Amino acid sequence: MITRKEFLKKSAWLAAGSALPLLGANKLFAASSLAGITILYTNDTHARLDPFPDNAVEFAGLGGIARRASMVNKIRSQEKNVLLLDAGDVFQGTPWFDVYGGSVDLELMTKMNYDAMAIGNHEFDRGTEGFAEAAQKAGFPILASNYQVKDTPMNPFVQRLLVKEFNGFRVGIFGLGIQLDGVVPRDLYGDVRYRDPVAWARGMSNSLRRYHHCDYVICLSHLGYRYSDERIDDLKLAGQVGGIDLIIGGHTHTFLDNPVSVTNPDGKQTLITQMGHGGVRLGRIDLNLSERNSPFGVNSRFYTIGKEI
Amino acid sequence: MINRYSLAVAFCLLIAGCTGLSSSKSPQNESKETAEGIYPEPDMMIASALEEYRLSLKSVTGEKIAMVTDTLQFGKPESPLGNLVADALRFRAGSELGQFVNIGIIGEISFRIFLTPGELTRGEVMEFMPYDNNLVVLSLTGNKIAELANQIAAQGGGPISGMRFSIADGQARGILVNSQVLDVNKTYTVATSNWVANGGDRYPALWQYTDRIDLDVNIRQLYLDYFKSRREIDPVTDGRIRR
Repeated sequence: MITRKEFLKKSAWLAAGSALPLLGANKLFAASSLAGITILYTNDTHARLDPFPDNAVEFAGLGGIARRASMVNKIRSQEKNVLLLDAGDVFQGTPWFDVYGGSVDLELMTKMNYDAMAIGNHEFDRGTEGFAEAAQKAGFPILASNYQVKDTPMNPFVQRLLVKEFNGFRVGIFGLGIQLDGVVPRDLYGDVRYRDPVAWARGMSNSLRRYHHCDYVICLSHLGYRYSDERIDDLKLAGQVGGIDLIIGGHTHTFLDNPVSVTNPDGKQTLITQMGHGGVRLGRIDLNLSERNSPFGVNSRFYTIGKEI
Repeated sequence: MINRYSLAVAFCLLIAGCTGLSSSKSPQNESKETAEGIYPEPDMMIASALEEYRLSLKSVTGEKIAMVTDTLQFGKPESPLGNLVADALRFRAGSELGQFVNIGIIGEISFRIFLTPGELTRGEVMEFMPYDNNLVVLSLTGNKIAELANQIAAQGGGPISGMRFSIADGQARGILVNSQVLDVNKTYTVATSNWVANGGDRYPALWQYTDRIDLDVNIRQLYLDYFKSRREIDPVTDGRIRR
């Protein structure tokens, strides 16, 4: 956890951005009509619909879904191709969740045109039925490839992957959920089964590349950024699974000012990013597709949402 | 919130010698640091959609729990809010078990807001302790209590109840438990949260307990009950940890 002072300092460059000319497009596409794709993302918003209160120990005055929405709208007015994604744990953290069980969050995220979210461990806080009740308000796919949800109330609301096409450029997105044993009480996750995220990530990335012909693959991961023990995390995942361009992470509430680059088994770079928690930041990654030649450029930046008090 | 601060400031101006706000890191003092000014205004559609739900939210969160007479913050070596949260654990554990509990402890990282003067609402207590933790009572040997005191001292202090000591060179000196000199051979009972006992806080001594009782008391509810029973919440320090 960073302190407020450090946080302010780190936020000061927020308009600067950093160039990461790392990634390679694996085929040519209709670049002339496609300047780029803008990926906006959040994680672990934890029912923080209002900004952090004035007497918050951390992040007083920051965040708030209405301010995030206006930032997103501003970017949408400037960029043609925008993806808006969340890496899970929308549920739990403020009285909004106690009263509404996440349904208001998912309804407002739908109004903001979120394209997809992953399932965080707190999405189980009201059991599989509580999830299903709130998920009825989600007008976007909820992604978890390594949770087997058949024969549970969650089944109609969860899918493994999603493909978005922008003028011939295909972006594949899949979700990964964290181990349930020891993280989520058993009576809450019920008959949902956790499967090996590495195996399922390989399957998803393979499927998205080969059968869905995706040019860019994003993993929405709620595994966590880094653990010192053998638990799977985003860093280990990136080193073990090829074909993923970007991991948008969550769970560990990690503030990464810049994406971290890991060489994957294909010898290519997988970027890992995460935006802390509470909707304090909105992350942004721009794929610059205006050049006909690969590799195409990637720019990363973030916005601090709200007013520091 | 803002009104509450202006009230507090006015209150301090009226009463000479009031140091509650001037010595603390008041949110108003920090506002001058904000210079970037690029923060977006709220989106009206989302904001108004949110307002439609706020009424039901307020019916739950708006309930008055207690009155706070002055700002209560966490701090070191001891602090009004630290003393309060640790006392509440110890007292509740005692009444649950029907026996005296020696010590209460919980790190301030378990709490997400501090208390400001005025009405304390249910919503604020929910923010204050947002986690679904439960109360546990651990049994520790006197040796481990001495280690615990040193771990608190190494951090410059922290929320503690039932214990008194001074800090010199990062070590706890003259440790008293319930007004008696610490006996390293005796066994003491310690009230805390399951999260702290499970290794979530920064007190490794607590993890080496000889016995553990998990009580069916939600910590958030514990603080709701405690604040309600107090009606008025005053900042109190009593020199339990001294430098």
